[in-house]
Amino acid sequence: MKKKILAAILSTAMVATLLTGCGGSADATADTSAADTETETAEADTAAETETAEETEAEASGEVTYEECTLTFDWWGGDSRHEATQAAVDAFMTKYPGITVEVNFGAWTDWETAKAAEYLSGNNPDVQQTNFDWIGKYDADGETYLDLNTVSDVLDLTQYDQSTLDTAMDSKGGLAGIPVSITGRTFYWNQATFEQAGLSVPTTLDELLAAGPVFQEKLGDNYYPLVVGEYDRAILMAFYLQAQTGEPVINESGNFTLTEDQVKEGLAWIQSLEEAHVIPTIAYIDGEGADSMDKSARFINGEYAGIFEWDSSPAKYLSALGENSGDLVVGNEIIDGVFKKVSLMFSISATTEHPKEAALLLNYLLNDEEGAAIMSTERGIPESKSAYAVLEAAGAIGAMEAEAHAAVMDADPMYWNPLFDDSSLKGDTAVYTTVFEQFSYGQDASGAAYTIDDAASDLYNAYIAVAPAE
Amino acid sequence: MAAATMTPEEARILAAKNKKIKRRNAVNLTLRYTVLILVGIVMVYPLIWMVGATFKDNSEIFTSINPIPKNITFTGYQDAVKSYGGNINIWKAMFNTYSYVIPEVILTVISSTLAAYGFARFKFIGRNVMFALMMAMLFLPQVVLNVPQYLLFNKFGWIGSQYYLPLIVPTAFATETYFVFMLVQFLRNVPHELEEAAEIDGCGSFQTLVRIVVPMIMPAIVSCALFKFMWASNDFMGPLLYVNTPAKYPATIFVKLSMDSDSGFNWNRVLATSLISIMPNILVFFLAQNQFVDGVSAGGVKG
Repeated sequence: MKKKILAAILSTAMVATLLTGCGGSADATADTSAADTETETAEADTAAETETAEETEAEASGEVTYEECTLTFDWWGGDSRHEATQAAVDAFMTKYPGITVEVNFGAWTDWETAKAAEYLSGNNPDVQQTNFDWIGKYDADGETYLDLNTVSDVLDLTQYDQSTLDTAMDSKGGLAGIPVSITGRTFYWNQATFEQAGLSVPTTLDELLAAGPVFQEKLGDNYYPLVVGEYDRAILMAFYLQAQTGEPVINESGNFTLTEDQVKEGLAWIQSLEEAHVIPTIAYIDGEGADSMDKSARFINGEYAGIFEWDSSPAKYLSALGENSGDLVVGNEIIDGVFKKVSLMFSISATTEHPKEAALLLNYLLNDEEGAAIMSTERGIPESKSAYAVLEAAGAIGAMEAEAHAAVMDADPMYWNPLFDDSSLKGDTAVYTTVFEQFSYGQDASGAAYTIDDAASDLYNAYIAVAPAE
Repeated sequence: MAAATMTPEEARILAAKNKKIKRRNAVNLTLRYTVLILVGIVMVYPLIWMVGATFKDNSEIFTSINPIPKNITFTGYQDAVKSYGGNINIWKAMFNTYSYVIPEVILTVISSTLAAYGFARFKFIGRNVMFALMMAMLFLPQVVLNVPQYLLFNKFGWIGSQYYLPLIVPTAFATETYFVFMLVQFLRNVPHELEEAAEIDGCGSFQTLVRIVVPMIMPAIVSCALFKFMWASNDFMGPLLYVNTPAKYPATIFVKLSMDSDSGFNWNRVLATSLISIMPNILVFFLAQNQFVDGVSAGGVKG
């Protein structure tokens, strides 16, 4: 019996040493990797001759010199993005031997939560795919992301329009990230449903408004020419009001330009769309329980004949429609207004030890002929002029994406202030959702009546809290 | 005896009565089974639908509730076993999952049993306060702990550890308070006399634990182990925070890798990977089912 106990104690002790062994090993690996780099540099020294030869060669061909190092790089996305980016990183490592890139990737769900913890503890990776609103959230002091102007000798910023770069400015005036692509909302129509109703796809707002009653009469109560959720309604309302006033809802100096009465007018217009059977009520949309239209049986069956969606995402809707995907066509911007925003960016950590090499990686992914071709349109249609030229020449830009993107980019937009997307306004529990939902239901969460006046005042107050009235 | 004195008339009545009872029983049984089968189908239906949906394409998944696919496609499974740049595939992800789930389960069971034994059988200074503190921890949501824990493990240099240290090590310190609580409750029903007898026979307190107490509370320990097994293998946030090399991703993260809400993805692939990755869990559950159900119900019985 004693032997057994002894054995048990010994094995516990072994496990314990094993664990402490592991505990130390994190540091140990750090040490060894440091040692590795040292030996590497030592090797580099011994191989100095070849090195210099390489360098001179590199300099001769106009290439930059760099240090051997290890960079970390992460992004979120789906299958094809993971594949393309990994391939591009591999190609980068082949082109620049000595730089090792350790990648990490995942899906968007909860990705930001994990990244927030990293920012908090300061171990965010050297190069990172970042979201546009992260500048405000995690880089408020301008200390999180490197000012990319400081590496502009390696990273070719001339491939971008200055106006595009200006959107990614941080509070200190530095360039916090490079906008990879610009995306905007456009209309997609289900041609087959419109044909069934004896109509052609709407090209003006009036045609769309006229389609509502025709749909109801010819196809039935469950057919609608357009479906828009809460956030879409906020955008459409802003378009409508901008067209009325001729001024952006939030102007360049960050002021809200509308009065409460004008907001009320906009809400009345949204209500009139519901009443005219142009759009379903929120209650009707919620009744199905689909959290986006590509999961909605009503959209897939053609009952919802129009959606107002990002120009970068037709693939999702085409795949949802399956064999009827040919029915989906891109509409032009039938309402006078375009909503464009930076879809995502690449940033470099301000604490990186290798800013130059990190910039080299970014330049390869974004502007390099070879890199851009591998990256393709996985992050939208690239803003980089050289990348766009490469992809256009290779025919890599899908016809539908190109058309949708053209609809967004070609429209002459009124100025659009990013404050419109402030987290107090946009989000699952933010003002756009609650106001437009309660307004459509006609009652608030407690069941009390929610009138157009309540909605107008709530919305107006939320706007002026973010963008003060003039 | 009674039958002997029965008149033929009485016997006939009795037989009719028996027949009636038998018929009633049969009706009862059919009724009961019909209800059970109907409810059973409702319960199992989502699982059957999920299996069917792995063979459907996106448009069919969202428009049809028929579990039998119209156009069978195997792309879901073909894609499911594809690897991401040679770094990670479903099998490796499952291996990764169990490489930290199993140590977690073992350490949780050992540490929780020790802690529960301490609380239930020994009087020490501050026991009540500590027990109250532990109970308070029971109501602390994991979300609150995420950030401080992350900062702590970052100080230790454990973030991205290839041995999953931030996931495994805490379980060695009885951090699953629910199990400690459950085992303490269970121990209250174990008579002290047995342990006293063991003491008389010369057992020390540790020996008493191993030889007397543990066998007595085995059903409760098994249910702790099973619960921990399920929770640990379904954990998504932990690995997402602490694992940052794709090659080390567990199945929970692997399943989500392809889910890009922006450009869309094939649901059949996600469903197929989910189905493959829950297979071991289902297997473990069925194997331990008897013990498990015993343990769950036994844990609820109070003296």
